[in-house]
Amino acid sequence: MRLLMTPKARLRPLSVLAAAALAISGLAACGGSDSPSDAGSATSGTVNWWGWTPTDTATAQGYIAAFNKQYPDIKVNYKLVNISDWVAALRPALASGKGPDVFDMQPGAYVTQFKSFAVDQTALAEQALGSDWKSKVAPIGISGLTADGKLTALSVGAVYAGMLWINADIFAKYDLRPPTTLAEWKNACQVLQRNKVGCFVQGAAQQGFDQDTLQSIANSVQPGLWTKVSKGEAKWTDPGIVRTLGIWKDLFDSGIMQPGAIGYQQYPDANNDFLTGKYGMIMMGTWYTQYATTKAMTAALSAAGVRDAKPFPILPVAFPDVAGAGNTSAMYGDADFGLAISTKSKARAAAETFVKWMATSAEGQQVVADQLNDLPALTSVRPNFDNVELVDPARQKEPVQQLVTTAAGVTEPRMSLLNADVQNGILAAATSVATGKATPEEAAKTLQQAAEAAGVTFQ
Amino acid sequence: MTETSTRPRRVLPQRSSTKGGGGHSGRRGPRRPPGLPWILPALVLSVGLLYYGIGYTGYISTLDWDGISPDPEHVGARNYTRIFHDPVFWAAIRHTAVFFAVTFVVQTLLGLVLAVLMHSRLRLAALYKVVIFIPVVLAPAIMAPVFRHMFAPDGELNWVLHHIGLGSLAQPWIGQTSTALPVIMFITIWEWTGVTFVLYYAAMTQIEPSVLDAARIDGAGNIRLIVSVIWPQMRGTTVALAILGAIGALKTFDVPYLVTIGGPNYATEFLGTYIYRQTIPLNHVGYGAALSVILLAVALVVALILQFASRERGA
Amino acid sequence: MFEIRTRTARVLVQLVATILVIPFVFPLVVMVKGAFAGEGLGNFTAVLQVPGFARFFLNSIIIAVVVVALVYVVTMMAAFGFAKLHIRFREIYFWLLLACLTLPEVVLLAPLFATDIRLGLYDTYWAVVLPLAALQVPFAILLTRNFINSLPDELFEAARVDGANSFRGFIYLVVPLTRPIAAAVVIFTLVAAWNNYLFPLVFLQSPDLQTITLVPQYFVGQFSNDQTKILASAVITAIPEVVAYLSLQRLFERGLSAGAIK
Repeated sequence: MRLLMTPKARLRPLSVLAAAALAISGLAACGGSDSPSDAGSATSGTVNWWGWTPTDTATAQGYIAAFNKQYPDIKVNYKLVNISDWVAALRPALASGKGPDVFDMQPGAYVTQFKSFAVDQTALAEQALGSDWKSKVAPIGISGLTADGKLTALSVGAVYAGMLWINADIFAKYDLRPPTTLAEWKNACQVLQRNKVGCFVQGAAQQGFDQDTLQSIANSVQPGLWTKVSKGEAKWTDPGIVRTLGIWKDLFDSGIMQPGAIGYQQYPDANNDFLTGKYGMIMMGTWYTQYATTKAMTAALSAAGVRDAKPFPILPVAFPDVAGAGNTSAMYGDADFGLAISTKSKARAAAETFVKWMATSAEGQQVVADQLNDLPALTSVRPNFDNVELVDPARQKEPVQQLVTTAAGVTEPRMSLLNADVQNGILAAATSVATGKATPEEAAKTLQQAAEAAGVTFQ
Repeated sequence: MTETSTRPRRVLPQRSSTKGGGGHSGRRGPRRPPGLPWILPALVLSVGLLYYGIGYTGYISTLDWDGISPDPEHVGARNYTRIFHDPVFWAAIRHTAVFFAVTFVVQTLLGLVLAVLMHSRLRLAALYKVVIFIPVVLAPAIMAPVFRHMFAPDGELNWVLHHIGLGSLAQPWIGQTSTALPVIMFITIWEWTGVTFVLYYAAMTQIEPSVLDAARIDGAGNIRLIVSVIWPQMRGTTVALAILGAIGALKTFDVPYLVTIGGPNYATEFLGTYIYRQTIPLNHVGYGAALSVILLAVALVVALILQFASRERGA
Repeated sequence: MFEIRTRTARVLVQLVATILVIPFVFPLVVMVKGAFAGEGLGNFTAVLQVPGFARFFLNSIIIAVVVVALVYVVTMMAAFGFAKLHIRFREIYFWLLLACLTLPEVVLLAPLFATDIRLGLYDTYWAVVLPLAALQVPFAILLTRNFINSLPDELFEAARVDGANSFRGFIYLVVPLTRPIAAAVVIFTLVAAWNNYLFPLVFLQSPDLQTITLVPQYFVGQFSNDQTKILASAVITAIPEVVAYLSLQRLFERGLSAGAIK
């Protein structure tokens, strides 16, 4: 039995395809709008929460369980989406209206990207904390998450950077003190290298961590310059920045940065090396505080592949005054993440309850604080160190508590002022200087051009 | 296309009854049954589903857009002119070309030789076959840190070099612009030779043993056998692999992005990674779309060239 | 293929094969070493104990099987059509299909998402199965068309003379004779579907539809990275694929083609 195809029939499949394509193309991406949606009940319902942090589902389930003690009828589903896939996954989800009700929001580029999908939470903050709510939360959490006058998310906790962490055992073994100047740093490295121990390790292939190091160097050269340049009040070709890049290069030339640093990534490469005792120093932020505890460090050591892990005490140490100008290199930070509510959410009231609890209630913030990953947004809440088992309380308790207290007063922003293109340019400048492909002056000039091309206006 | 030597001569005159180029010249008889219904499912599935994607991409390549805001700016061909002046784009093209040339040659050689060896009487052939194939199955996302560790200054490769007396060769393989691209090529060859191997192995099952016997009676040694008898019969597979390899090289993203993030200093930037970088973290969705359109055009041109080049030699 | 008559020849062949294979083994050894580091077998139990693991495994199987079946049927039909049947504008259709191969997955996310919502497919297996199949089909057709081309025309003409139509020719000639390439297509499609990460991530919302490729995520975070468990999950994920490969090995042996021509 032969199938007969007439010429007309042959054209039909093509026209069907064309019609289908046209019909579907009417859907070309819809943006978000603040259309009123069915808010639902405030004490019951299902809330879908997407986040890259908490970085393991168990922690998130812990938060949710604590939340359910107060609000047992609201079911929260947490979906962990790795930060590297975040943008790719979230954009279509939010645009479709079938995405999450609550989603993590990070200051900086993500706020710009997703602000049109986030409900303004100023009213919610006032409702939760009163009209003077701004004085009750860490200021850094507000500015980073505000865009176009809209508070896109309520900060849950903040992270700060601009400090080093040292392996206290290694330093004790070789009778070293934490370096306070560049010369002392070089010296410490020489001692350690003589004894075949690594000195400082960094995943210099990655933008975020290189940016932290550069910002700390800049804060030592000229406090406040980095923020000024980020805002466009000064240019990237400023002599202070050129000097910063010069010191950055010195870190590589003098052997402080480990060989091959440019090809290394902070997680898991550098982190595992530090935790397994191969290096004495690493530059990490306040999120590293959790590894001061026995439980977390043992787990991290096991994750790094060490059998019968023996935890060692880590200590936070101020970034050395590498410029030698007598300035303390100040810390800086951003909200680690806030919780945003989708404009298209169908369970808005329940979502608000959840966000309020996590970000503004004493109970929720205490649970967050005790993880020692984020420092809580609510200024009245501090981590409960009585509940926490440090590896070596005698050596660690004071420095760690000091760190937490100092950090709470930090106002200098970390990433929130820089858009993605400028961040890309910073990485290019850092690697080209480190590999010797460009001098600090040339790199600064290229970076300035990149920033201008990205739309930053300079005075 | 592969031809066996037992095909009888044709008596009827040849008639090429298709329009639109190519086809096997002269092997078609006058009364072939219609084939359109057979290819319809494939067309509907692939073309139907994906052409909306292609059209959509073409459309947004004329925009200056971040993928979200409701008012994109229509800029016509500006994205394309910017691409031609973009040094990173040309670097990516260069890397892709070098990458394709090297990986294709090595993978073809390795795959072919291994396929021949596995068809011979060999102990533990099953084990070898599995070992060659396992890399195909392992996700690059998972192997990337393994390779970063292997190629690290204190990693396994340098350790081995030190222990076999080649310690002077030990270097930070990934942290140098000069050796980063070769590392990416090594990883890719490791990952994909299994595919070449499987395809050549399958194609070799079609070789008539009588042909091999005849050659051997004529006094051909093993090497001669490969070059003059086996290799020519693999032409169809080789062309298909070349096309797939070219397209794959243009699209390649996982390995260079995960192992070296396109660096250091764009030393391992490929068209695939550049598209991803522009589209996702940097939000230049229009620019990324324009790059994708160029990728599509280049891929088609290369595939066409490969197809026609092989035809000329074959006829 | 090689004639191995002397003992030296046998040893030489074995040696060459081994040397060629060593660079493949080396990274595998490093990887397995990493999977057993730290807690050793504990890593594997931790992976298996990820909540919902069995469900993820099942979902991956369902998706992979449907994709493979769909791709096999569509590819065989289309390759047969392209290779042995008469189609006007045949080469144009073929190149249309080939163009689909050039799209990076990431570019497809937004348009596919819009289509899924419109057709009500979001958060169903089909949202993942259809794009995966659509992306695999051109690749499979490219390979299979070659293979079918080299099957002698006389076979089909003989069958036609005997009164069989295209359909019977397909079932009784093409399907048995293309076993080796079909096995290759099945394997590659299976691997592509099993390993796919981006589509399940973006198009599947409910936890009980997630696939096994999302498991390593449980061990990676912004500030942490449990390599040992990730590698252990990679080993576990790879096992079904290797098993499939081994079971399809016998199809790579010479099929019935030797007998058919005579």
